[in-house]
Amino acid sequence: MTADQVPGLTYDESVIGKEVEVGSFTVTAEQIAAYCEAVGETSPLHTDPEAAAKGPYGALTAPPGLVHAVQLERGLDAKIQFPGVAFHAGERIESLAPLRVGDTVTAYNQVKEVYAKTGRTGSMVFEVRRTEYRNQDGTPVVATETSFVRREV
Amino acid sequence: MAEQRYFDDIDPGDEFDEQLVMETPKVLKYLGIPGSRLAGPNRFNDPEIAKRDGMPGMIVPGVMQLDLMSRVLNDFAGQEGRIGHMEVSFRRSVLHGDKLRALGLVTDTIPGDGEGTIRMDVFFENERGERPLQGTADVILPSRKD
Repeated sequence: MTADQVPGLTYDESVIGKEVEVGSFTVTAEQIAAYCEAVGETSPLHTDPEAAAKGPYGALTAPPGLVHAVQLERGLDAKIQFPGVAFHAGERIESLAPLRVGDTVTAYNQVKEVYAKTGRTGSMVFEVRRTEYRNQDGTPVVATETSFVRREV
Repeated sequence: MAEQRYFDDIDPGDEFDEQLVMETPKVLKYLGIPGSRLAGPNRFNDPEIAKRDGMPGMIVPGVMQLDLMSRVLNDFAGQEGRIGHMEVSFRRSVLHGDKLRALGLVTDTIPGDGEGTIRMDVFFENERGERPLQGTADVILPSRKD
C-alpha cells in the first residue's frame, strides 16, 4: 500500500496498469433492440437488419454504448482507503471498430490511475479504470474509461 | 433520422440541440437491458437507497446520460457519419423527471481524406440552468463528393 499526499488516503499501487480479463459476452439482436428502445436510437444501422446489410458494415451493428449495459467482473481492486461515498465522475468512450450481432466480445480492465485533488471544499480521490473490448479476432472494438471520485465528508 | 450532414457544411460556432425528459419508465427500460450490470435495487431505481446515498431522489445513471448524448450525436452524424470518441464529466445528479436540453457546440473542424472531424463541446442543461453533464466529442462526417 502507498500513501499519497492527501491525509487518510492509501491504495495498492501494485495494481496500476495491470490488465485482467473481466468477462465476455455475445452481442445479440435482442440486446441491441432493448438498448435502442431505451435511448431512442432509430438509426437503421442498429434497428433494421435489411437496411443495415446494405450499409457500410454489411450487418446490424450495436451502438458502442451497448458495452455499458453488460455485466462484467470489477477487475483488480486498488483497495483505496479514503472516507466518503464513491460517485461516477466521468466517462470516456471510443468506438474503434463495428460491434456486430454475433460477435463474441471479451473485456479487459485495468486500474489506469489513482490521484488526489485538493480544492476549496476539501480533498477528492479519483480512480480511473480503462476497459478495452475485443472481438473474437482480438480486434479492439470499443474502449471506455470510467472515473470514480471519493469526496471527503 | 435526420438527413445526412456533410463536413463541408459545418462551421465552428454552429450549434444543435434536442430536448430530453428523464422519465422513470425510460430509465427502468435502460436498467432492464438483457445482461445489464445495473439490474437489482440501487440508487437508480430505489428511492430509499437513493435517499441513503444522500440523493434528493432516484438518479439517472451516468452511463445512460452518456449513451443519450451518444444517440443525439449519432443523429447529428447520420448514417454515413460516426462518433470518434466522447468524454464527459458528471457535475451534478440528474434526477428522474428532469427535463434536459442536450447541446452540441462546434469548436473546430479538421478536414481529412473524404471525411472530416467535427470537434465539439457537449453538455446537458437542466431547467435550473445547471449543466450536469459536460464534455467534448469528435464526430466524423463525410465530405461532399463534388
